[in-house]
Amino acid sequence: MERKQPDLVLIVARSFATKLATPTLITDARGDLVYFNDAAAEVIGRSYLDVGQLPVSRWQELFEPRTLDEEPLTPAQTPGGVALLERRPVHGAFAFSGFDGREHDITVTAFPLFSHPDEVVGVMSIFWELPAEP
Amino acid sequence: MIVRIWGARGSLATPGPATVGYGGNTSCVEVELSDGTTLILDAGSGIRELGERLAEREPGLLHLCLTHLHLDHVEGLGFFRPLWTSGWKVRFFGPPSATTTLRERVSRYLSPPLFPVGLSELPTEAVFEDVPREPWRIGSALIEAQTVEHRGPTLGYRIEDEGQVLVYLPDHEPYLTAALDDEPAWISGWALAAGADLLLHDSQYSEDEYPNRLGWGHSSVVQAAAFARAADVQRLAMFHHDPMRSDRELDELHERVADLVRHDQEFPLIAREGLEIALGSAS
Repeated sequence: MERKQPDLVLIVARSFATKLATPTLITDARGDLVYFNDAAAEVIGRSYLDVGQLPVSRWQELFEPRTLDEEPLTPAQTPGGVALLERRPVHGAFAFSGFDGREHDITVTAFPLFSHPDEVVGVMSIFWELPAEP
Repeated sequence: MIVRIWGARGSLATPGPATVGYGGNTSCVEVELSDGTTLILDAGSGIRELGERLAEREPGLLHLCLTHLHLDHVEGLGFFRPLWTSGWKVRFFGPPSATTTLRERVSRYLSPPLFPVGLSELPTEAVFEDVPREPWRIGSALIEAQTVEHRGPTLGYRIEDEGQVLVYLPDHEPYLTAALDDEPAWISGWALAAGADLLLHDSQYSEDEYPNRLGWGHSSVVQAAAFARAADVQRLAMFHHDPMRSDRELDELHERVADLVRHDQEFPLIAREGLEIALGSAS
């Protein structure tokens, strides 16, 4: 039996996210998507149970993040990526494609999860869909 | 490795006729490692009597691993004779804090107005260290500490000696982090407890009590049994008994736990003062 598990801060963040009615994603210290809650699943188009954890390269490929002006974004340029790399909270907006192929414009607040003052174990990203332009 | 229970009560010391069977002293466990090193887990009121026993020896080095600093886990320090007798050296380990040292946090209790004498008056050499983030050695054992779900920064400990594993999770509410039949990796404390030969685990509440104490940081006996199954431990010992629990009521809860462990797990124990459990070549 391999005794490996995420840091408690990440475990508790996931537990918190399961109880939130606001769409929430959790990524780990590598940027891999390790959880999204049911509210996020409504937007993304599939449940976490269906999708499971996604390496950073895979979620970039699936969701094609881009600016609201349709310029491609690398994972490091998304609010979650900036929060992880620069170890600071970030608020921003971007667009992505859901599993249903629809484009979603969202505003995101992402903040790093510190387990120690010098150790970030992941990022929590809470997002809202922007209202469709008339 | 020999494990001796000096206190298994939770929250408040509870002497009296109703608790004389399992004991009323709060958390303290002595671990005698295979090389003779003494490791102590928590410093509840049970450490007073352990100190009397240790004082019969020549002074030496003691290792004291604190899970957290709630009073029932440190209240015995003021009467732990080796700490107040010159010649001894006590090396404390405890949960890290981003803002204060372990010594400062222990001092909050061992200082006026809560206690008349302060740490600066100790005649012994006391060293305070946050637990290392990676496993480390004490004597013949490999020690691992991980933060676990409880109110405030709290550790669980895994002690591996001669291939035998003791895991100590006296204050733990894993149910808050995940359903106990969820993916094990998302259950607090799972990796620490996985495959342990003996798990001393929080079993404070009955199933009926737990819903009214959700989030208080403790487990029901049913959750303790479920956690032990999820972590595939060999033997569960119920620990951190509720101060309102009589010996007779503990026996009833024990019957419930015994029904819940898997057939390939050993019959569960109730941790009681004076209980000695030998693991490995000591058995």
